[in-house]
Amino acid sequence: MLKVLLVDDDSEFTDVAYQIIEFLGHEVSVAGTLKEAKQWLEHQQFDHILLDFMLPDGSGLHLIDELKSNSENETFITLITGHPSVKGMLAGLCGPKVNYLVKPIQREDIEQVLNRKSKKPTKKNHKALHFGCLIGESAPMQELYLMIERVAKTSANVMLMGESGVGKEVVAQAIHSASECDGPLVATNCGALSKELIGSELFGHEKGAFTGAVGRKDGVFERAEHGTLFLDEVTEMPIDMQPNLLRVLESKRVTRLGGTKEIDVNCRVVSATNRSIQDLAESKMLREDVYFRLAVFPIDIPPLRKRKEDIPLLAKAFLDELNSENGTSFAWNESQLSRLSDYSWPGNVRELRHTVHRAFIMSDPDTSTVDLPSSFASPFATKQSASNQISAGQTIENVEKELIRATLEKVDGSKTLAAEMLGISTKTLYNRLHAYGDFAE
Amino acid sequence: MTLEDDGNSNLRTMIHDARGPLNRISMNAELVKLVLENDMPREKAIEALNKIIVACQDCSEKLQSISDSQKNSDV
Repeated sequence: MLKVLLVDDDSEFTDVAYQIIEFLGHEVSVAGTLKEAKQWLEHQQFDHILLDFMLPDGSGLHLIDELKSNSENETFITLITGHPSVKGMLAGLCGPKVNYLVKPIQREDIEQVLNRKSKKPTKKNHKALHFGCLIGESAPMQELYLMIERVAKTSANVMLMGESGVGKEVVAQAIHSASECDGPLVATNCGALSKELIGSELFGHEKGAFTGAVGRKDGVFERAEHGTLFLDEVTEMPIDMQPNLLRVLESKRVTRLGGTKEIDVNCRVVSATNRSIQDLAESKMLREDVYFRLAVFPIDIPPLRKRKEDIPLLAKAFLDELNSENGTSFAWNESQLSRLSDYSWPGNVRELRHTVHRAFIMSDPDTSTVDLPSSFASPFATKQSASNQISAGQTIENVEKELIRATLEKVDGSKTLAAEMLGISTKTLYNRLHAYGDFAE
Repeated sequence: MTLEDDGNSNLRTMIHDARGPLNRISMNAELVKLVLENDMPREKAIEALNKIIVACQDCSEKLQSISDSQKNSDV
């Protein structure tokens, strides 16, 4: 139980905060002015002070100065402010025993500031975070950090490429943070929107532009003004919509659907795809001109198997996060970390996070040992092991034979089903089996 | 301080003031959650909900005054 002093001139807020803090198991005293707060402090020692920044008889900072002058004082202070901009100033002004909350406050915020012990591991995690969100110290990640740092200084459009689950959205967030731009990061998934809706999502619409357009809507280009627009799965955008996108990228002007006025837009576009450059060229899913506009600076995000030394760091960070959310203290042992590092993680960081979460749920809450499953097998693992069987140097005949064998095995030997799955006629399948001889009936 | 700085400062103060009722709404909503989750007397929840309604009106008035002040500065 902590002894808490709540200093705020808004009596309605202090009434309700009093009840909540008391419910959390702490003893609360209330002051409405600096003078009252000083009177309390003359007679009592408090563990924590929740202090409004602006009080009728002066700033809360005066009280901090007074407490700081007493070197033996162990009181922790949380400044409550209605100005989000004040937090930057406070970060420089205040020592380790002072933090801040921005109004409107939630119960969780109060719990977190009062329960500093449970917050400490989270702080430790932040040290290992690059650009506030990326984890990893391996050589491929260092290369990635360098690229992010360089491109952040420019306004160039970036295309992120990498397998599914490598964390493309997190890299987009890192570029946005490193850019220190004034606008927001706006994300949209081009693969999740229907052909009819994508135009309205990207470019916005005017009221009455189409049935159901009951009001005006700003598109993502407008919403990301002076910030970053993240277009996920950009290659899934319908090809007939791409000329419109190209026009906006070239002219930096957008016209809402049903509108006539051109609006200037100014944002960096970070797009993402899980297709390789070769795929992009062969599949023709993305127009060449659009590609060159989007991929002014292409970045390849390495798959997890190519940065195995980061696996323990990531596993620890994910577990710390779950520990902090649930008030637990599970930890990995060396053999578990080495098992995690040995696996290939075809579903990349997303799959690792999922495995850690599943293991966390399965673990006995009375112990601190994580219950890691005996196998990490997943649909992705099957996919990879199958593709691993094909390597350069094999003959087409051998690969075909292996494919037929695996398909027959999958459908328990049914020729009709196997032929259907392989996209050939049953007669052709019989001919092939006859030619191979060894596993023909 | 220029006239524009002065206007911005007024606007910041008005936005700061609008966060007061928002804060009361947020905290009273948290109290309602506590009451419901912990089988506490429902009168406490009703009292908190009434305070939320009053704070919503208060917030609305403060937003209106921001809007009015912007109109005046446009003129």
